[in-house]
Amino acid sequence: MMTELLRALVSSFLGVLGFAVLVNAPKRSMLPAALIGTGAYVVYWALLQLGASEPAAVFVGAMTGSMAGLWCSGRMRMIGTVFLMMSIVSFVPGLGLYRCMEFLGNGQTGLGAEQGVAAMIDIAMIVLGQGLGSYLFRSLKRLLSAKQERNRQRTP
Amino acid sequence: MTAEEQRVCMELLQLAGQIIMVSGGETYRVEETITRMGAALGLGEVGCFAVPSGIMISFRLADGTAEAVVKRVRPGSTDLSRVDRVNGISRLLEAGKITMPEALEQLQAIRDEPSSGRWLPLAAAICAGGFALMFGGGIPDFLVAFAVAGLAQMLLGLLTGRMHMQSLAAAFLGSMVETLLPMLTALLWPVIRPETVIAGALMPLLPGLAMTKAVQDTLRGDMLSGTSHGVQALLTAALVAGGTLVASAIFRLLTGGAAG
Repeated sequence: MMTELLRALVSSFLGVLGFAVLVNAPKRSMLPAALIGTGAYVVYWALLQLGASEPAAVFVGAMTGSMAGLWCSGRMRMIGTVFLMMSIVSFVPGLGLYRCMEFLGNGQTGLGAEQGVAAMIDIAMIVLGQGLGSYLFRSLKRLLSAKQERNRQRTP
Repeated sequence: MTAEEQRVCMELLQLAGQIIMVSGGETYRVEETITRMGAALGLGEVGCFAVPSGIMISFRLADGTAEAVVKRVRPGSTDLSRVDRVNGISRLLEAGKITMPEALEQLQAIRDEPSSGRWLPLAAAICAGGFALMFGGGIPDFLVAFAVAGLAQMLLGLLTGRMHMQSLAAAFLGSMVETLLPMLTALLWPVIRPETVIAGALMPLLPGLAMTKAVQDTLRGDMLSGTSHGVQALLTAALVAGGTLVASAIFRLLTGGAAG
């Protein structure tokens, strides 16, 4: 279990950090973005260990990652795109897409379609997770700002 | 505002929008930045309509006449640090910490900076190696994915940079190379698992940024740009998958179906 956790931590950190450099992310955002991406992947991995289904784990991982990313972008006064992208990069189903093509190439259409549909569901879950996470975060932020404004007005 | 100041304002707004769009920023960010900068410059009724291939900006002058400009934008290499820097300039301008000529000067400096692709092969290599480990690979898989993705990124840089190849076509060719090389390596070094190496090496080519932009633009109500980015993401994924399929077929033809 510990070895697997270590593998998840190291592999996702390296993968996300490399991706951050690849898109020329601002230097001071690279480490926090890689940590957010790693955190989101660890959430996904932990949910899988607890018996959650793959799409559910991807959804929750993408949602928590995007909320953490938006929070971090606000704190660091940087564009949210960097953090949002890094929070979902680990969930892009590269292996599923490859398997789909490999099966289709071998003439195993049924297995290929199965992998393809699973990959598409993962992509849909990433989109939904990121969308809901961003929406929830911005709504919470608006609510808190409105509350702070009301409190300020009440103070004599 | 004099005619010269109006010209500088328009140039500044165009340049800010163009840099964000070319460097991979979202469409809503272009519109927000231009509107905020325009208001900070004291322009009236600033309007901006951006789509992934162009920007339209308008504002009203003191004498009541309206000025408008349309700028065609062609996609460039992704550089999120440029987007962030333009965002920073917009904030400073809004806060009154820099003047219009200073803002224009800084934007021109960002535009004229040569894009640094020196570290991209190493970045792609680290990214691919990490994902190969994530997909269950061992150290040999990490090493092969590292080497293959680094080489493929160099090839992509050459194709899109010096040979001006479209990025979608380059993604197709890149995925072919990243599929064929591990399969051929597995013939010589059977300890590697081509599946994990290929999947890891393909990850830098998959459209994470286009997906993010599609979600963020759609969430802000910009269905046109959201759909456009969504289609771009799907097309890129389809071409990467197509490149893999073609490379597998070539490999089978070459080897009669051995390994892989």
